[in-house]
Amino acid sequence: MRRLLFILAVFLLTASTWMALTAGQIVPVQRNILYAHVPSSICALLCFVVLLVAGIGYLAGGRDIWDMIAVASAEVGLVYATILNATGMIFSRAEWNVWWTPSPRLITSAILWFLYVVYLVLRVNLPGSRRRRARICAVFGIIAFLDVPMVFLSARFIPDMHRPSFSFESTWQSAALALAMIATVLLGTAMIWLRTDSLRNTLRLEEQFLA
Amino acid sequence: MESFWVALKAIFVKDVIVELRARQVLPTMVVLGMLIVYILRLVSEPASGAAPLVGAAALWVAFLFCGLLAQERSFAAEQHQGCMDGLLLAPCDPGTIYLAKLCVNVVVLCVFEVIIVPVVLIVFRLSVGARWPDLLAVLLLGNIGISSVGTLFSAAVQLARTRGSLLSIIVLVILMPLMVPATFALLVLFGALPEEVGGSGSLAFVGSFKAAAGYMLAFDAVFVVACWLLFAVVVEE
Repeated sequence: MRRLLFILAVFLLTASTWMALTAGQIVPVQRNILYAHVPSSICALLCFVVLLVAGIGYLAGGRDIWDMIAVASAEVGLVYATILNATGMIFSRAEWNVWWTPSPRLITSAILWFLYVVYLVLRVNLPGSRRRRARICAVFGIIAFLDVPMVFLSARFIPDMHRPSFSFESTWQSAALALAMIATVLLGTAMIWLRTDSLRNTLRLEEQFLA
Repeated sequence: MESFWVALKAIFVKDVIVELRARQVLPTMVVLGMLIVYILRLVSEPASGAAPLVGAAALWVAFLFCGLLAQERSFAAEQHQGCMDGLLLAPCDPGTIYLAKLCVNVVVLCVFEVIIVPVVLIVFRLSVGARWPDLLAVLLLGNIGISSVGTLFSAAVQLARTRGSLLSIIVLVILMPLMVPATFALLVLFGALPEEVGGSGSLAFVGSFKAAAGYMLAFDAVFVVACWLLFAVVVEE
C-alpha cells in the first residue's frame, strides 16, 4: 500500500515536472521555481498539523505509535521546510537581488524551520525514560504550534515585499502546479508512513534483544 | 480555592526567601545584563545615530538571556535531595506550582529591570518623557511572556547534562514572534517610530503602539494558560 503510494507520488511528480517544462513554462525563467516552492510550503505546514495532532493523541492515549508519527512528521517537515527556505532564497536572489530580508513570509518560514530543528534537537538531548521524552516532546509540539498563528500576527509589524500569488497565463501552468501539490502531499504521506514503520521496527527489535 | 492561594503563597515565599538568603541568581543576572548593554553600546558606536534601535535591541537581548538564567535555576534548586518529589507530593494542583514559580521568575526579572532599564536609558542617551507608564506596561508584558515559556521548560530539561543550552534554544525559538512587536513598541516610546506606521505592500499592515501592546497581551495570555495546563504533563514521572 505505502509502496504504491510512493510510486504514485513519484509518477505524479515526474508528470508535473514534464508539464511544467513543456507546456507550462513561466517567463521570466526564475519564477519556475514556484513549482517546487509552493507545494513544499504547504507540506511543511501540513506536517506541523500532523505533529500537533500526534502530540495531542499521545498525551490523550499514551500509545507509542502517536509518538512515532510525531517524530516522522517532524523529520519530513524539516525536509520540506529546508526545501521551502532554500528555493525561496534562490528566488529572492534572482528576483529582488537579496538572499534574505526580514519580510513577514520569510520570517514565518524561517521560524518554522527553527521550530522543527529545535524539536529534533530536543528529542535527542532530553534525559529520562522514553515515555518522559515523548511526553515533553508532545508538549513542545503543542506549544510550538501555538506559536505559528503568533508568528503570522507578529509579521503584521513589518512591511511585506513577498507577493502572495502569481497570475497564471495558461491553464497548463495551474494544472502543473496543482499536480505538483498533490504529488508532494502524497510523497510526504508516504515518507511519514515509511518512517513510522521503521521507527516501530526499531523499537520492536530493541525490546526483543535488549530485554 | 482557599488551598490554591495558600499553596501559591507558600511556594512563592519559599523561593523568594531562598533567593534573598543565597543571592544565587540576581547578581549574575545584573552583571550579565550590564555586560550585554555595554558591549552593544561599544560595537554600535559607529552607528550612534541609530541609538534607539540598538537600545531597544540591547534591552530585549539582555532580558532574554538574563531571564534564562533565572528560569533555569528555578527548578535546578529543586533537584537537590529530591526536593522536586516533595513539592509534587504537596496537596495542590501541579499547575499551582507552575504559577508560583512563574510569579517568582517575573518578580526576579522585574527587580532586574529596575536596575538595567536606567542603565540602558543612560548609556544610549534615550528618554521616554512622560510616557514612562507605557514603558512599564511594555516591560511587564515582555517580562511575563519571557518567563512563561521558560518556567515550563525549565522543569522539562532538568537532569539533562546540557540543560542550559537546551532551555535557551527552546525559549528563544518560541519567543521569536514576541520580540517583533516588543521592539516595535519600544521604538515608538523612544521616538524612533511614529505612533502609527502607515500601510504598505499587499498585507493590511497595522503597526501602532496599541496594536503592539495588544499583541503582547494576547501572547502572554495564550502562553501562560497553555503552560499552566501542560505543566502537569511535564513533571509527571
